[in-house]
Amino acid sequence: MLEVKGLTAGYAGSEVLHGIDLTVKDGEGVIVLGPNGHGKTTLLRAITGLLPPRSGSVLLDEREITRWRPDVIAAAGVVHIPQGDLLFPDMTVLENLVMGAYQRATWSERNQRLGRVYELFPWLKERGRQLARTLSGGERRMLALGRGLMSKAKILLIDEPSLGLAPLTTEQIYASIRRVKESGMAILLADENANHVAGLADRVYLLETGVLVREGPAEKMLQDKALLESYLG
Amino acid sequence: MALGLTLVWGAVRLLNLAHGAIFVVGAYAAYWVTSSLHLPILVALPIGVLAAAAFAYAMHVGFIRPVLGKPGFDNATIIATVGISIAVSAAALLIFNPEYKVVPAVLSGYFIVAGVQITNQGLLVIGTSLALFAVVYFYLTYTRHGMAIRAVSQQQEAASLMSIPVERTYGTVIAISGALAGVAGVLLSPFFFLSPNSGFNPMIQALIVTIFGGLGSIRGALVAGFVLGIFESFVEVYYGVAWAQPGVFVLIILMLILRPNGLFGIGEVRRL
Repeated sequence: MLEVKGLTAGYAGSEVLHGIDLTVKDGEGVIVLGPNGHGKTTLLRAITGLLPPRSGSVLLDEREITRWRPDVIAAAGVVHIPQGDLLFPDMTVLENLVMGAYQRATWSERNQRLGRVYELFPWLKERGRQLARTLSGGERRMLALGRGLMSKAKILLIDEPSLGLAPLTTEQIYASIRRVKESGMAILLADENANHVAGLADRVYLLETGVLVREGPAEKMLQDKALLESYLG
Repeated sequence: MALGLTLVWGAVRLLNLAHGAIFVVGAYAAYWVTSSLHLPILVALPIGVLAAAAFAYAMHVGFIRPVLGKPGFDNATIIATVGISIAVSAAALLIFNPEYKVVPAVLSGYFIVAGVQITNQGLLVIGTSLALFAVVYFYLTYTRHGMAIRAVSQQQEAASLMSIPVERTYGTVIAISGALAGVAGVLLSPFFFLSPNSGFNPMIQALIVTIFGGLGSIRGALVAGFVLGIFESFVEVYYGVAWAQPGVFVLIILMLILRPNGLFGIGEVRRL
């Protein structure tokens, strides 16, 4: 469903990604593993148009979406849960969730969609009137995920969901992502360690200095401790 | 007037120094409809408002949108909006000549309460501004597009990930703000004579109100508008007209010392 071919991207003067080829099939869980600063965030940002790629192409269901505006890519169903959550700080929890359903088609069914997100994160319901800026780190992460799920996503791009969280909260977050995946959603997740991705990952890519150096089925790759250690330290 | 300024600042972080020019565009459009087309002011009012909104939107397309998100956005837009102001007064001078024009009031007549003369038009202005505050507040709080405006102002990148078109949303804000300036232009012009520079004083007052209430705060603009208006009249009555302006400035200076972000200031961190 999502296909990335020869993607290069970077910031003024320096190229970060040097020709990435990657695919995610329907309902598949794909993990990009790589140490910090090797281009995981850049890869997700280039796919969703926040950082227009320099060359290469991105296809969604065989349709070229390279260099579309981020809002158009999101509307097409590629939904990015960004690093740092990027909540709307002075909106309430409920308002944040509702913004996830901004698209005309989802706006009219936002109440049903809220129900589904509340099933995943029941606490969001009682805290609806609280301002997003007053939430704890773990709560923010869950809200960001819930907000993404309010849209009619075909695939979720999730950027390092464990970043800055306590171990227990991290477990909770991954458990909920696993449930989302079990509901049939395709997921492309970037992470810097392989501790939590079991049961979520079907396939794993290893990213090193802007190049995907290895690719393989999750059960094989995640077993190979020596390989993971040499790449991720 | 202040509502429009604060809206654009709150949402786009654009200090719109052409706000007075937009006010003048609305007022002259209404004047032209009443004097050349001989239509009643009630027809001229919506036309003036539309003209102001269209002008503001054109300004967005021509001068704001091209520099959105670029470094130097602040300086570029301040200079561009000052330039637009100068161009508008020059154009008004060429088209309508420098003579003072009269825009008819929507309501005539007055009544006297406790020895103070209150014009019906004055009441209309107060009623309209209260109503517009309520409408804008409702729009931003409860509607899809209004909430999108707040989302864009608080976290632009996340807003685009929610499939909100950022640039178009900015255009909407600027057009709404233009319409508000247009309403002010048409309804306030009967209180003084319309000239190419008529927009300057209302804009300075709107700026003062906006700063006093807290840049970007809608509630602040409403409260500050009334507080400053009443304070000014109070000084006029008890200390003489000459002290009104200095009095307001003293109040502003005190305010900026005590609460640098204004009454309900949202400062750098908080937004709409």
